[in-house]
Amino acid sequence: MLALIRTHDIDLALFVHVGGAMILVGGLLTAATAATVGWRDESSALRRFSYKTLLAVALPGWIIMRAGAEWTYTKEHLNDLPSDPTWIGIGFTMADIGGILLLIALVVGGIGMWRTRQGRGGDGLLKASAVIAGLLVVAYAVAVWAMGAKPS
Amino acid sequence: MLSFHLLSAFAAASALVLYTVLVVAGRRMSTLDETSRLFRIAPIGGPLVGAGMGLALVFGIILALKSADFEIWNGWIIAAFILWALVGGAGGRTGAYYTETQKLAEQGHEAEVIARLRAPTGALWHLATVAFFVLLLLDMIFKPGA
Repeated sequence: MLALIRTHDIDLALFVHVGGAMILVGGLLTAATAATVGWRDESSALRRFSYKTLLAVALPGWIIMRAGAEWTYTKEHLNDLPSDPTWIGIGFTMADIGGILLLIALVVGGIGMWRTRQGRGGDGLLKASAVIAGLLVVAYAVAVWAMGAKPS
Repeated sequence: MLSFHLLSAFAAASALVLYTVLVVAGRRMSTLDETSRLFRIAPIGGPLVGAGMGLALVFGIILALKSADFEIWNGWIIAAFILWALVGGAGGRTGAYYTETQKLAEQGHEAEVIARLRAPTGALWHLATVAFFVLLLLDMIFKPGA
């Protein structure tokens, strides 16, 4: 019921887009949860687990979601419209700004991981990375709402 | 209504991704201390998958009843009900397996906990749950016969 009236030729592209988005949101949620649960732990194990989840799950999810979005956009000939509808604008904005924020979270968390391994702190950076993941969960929930409600 | 249906489906999918990460990570654990960390993350998954699947069903039924294009007895919608039940059934078996494992961990049975986390039983039930969910997603998007 993802769209009540549409042709079948975009189904595969839409499946890739939605599947990638689900992996992305799940990865972000897992990362944010792990870091929140382990926030006050002396050991940085859960914060490192959070970062590895961002890298191994959320990042591939974002790539699949974004590729699927572009594929769906082209297949549905939305690029032929004189201007993008609002919901497309919200979707692309959230996807692209979210991608940049995810990249920042990965770089910050990566430095945190390196410093932790060196025994030079780094917990604060890992926490910052997880906070960005939590914010992205909220942002992508708004994007999912926009994809369904399709505000014009 | 479609937004709520989608958000509910995303909540359930997020929980399944979370459980997948935990199942994969759990297979590499070698001490009770490590496993107890994983069990601290898991509780968020239960309400998410439960509420997500339940609300996705409710909003899906409302959408089908209100739609001029579909009827609730259409083949792809009936298939969705069956797949929804299969996700719930396989997910329930997965949950029972790992809840039992968590109880053993709380009682300090390290060897048994590690063996259960590495055994294929729980992972296969989880794999079945994810496979049924993916089929449900395919059914929702491709709408065979519609």
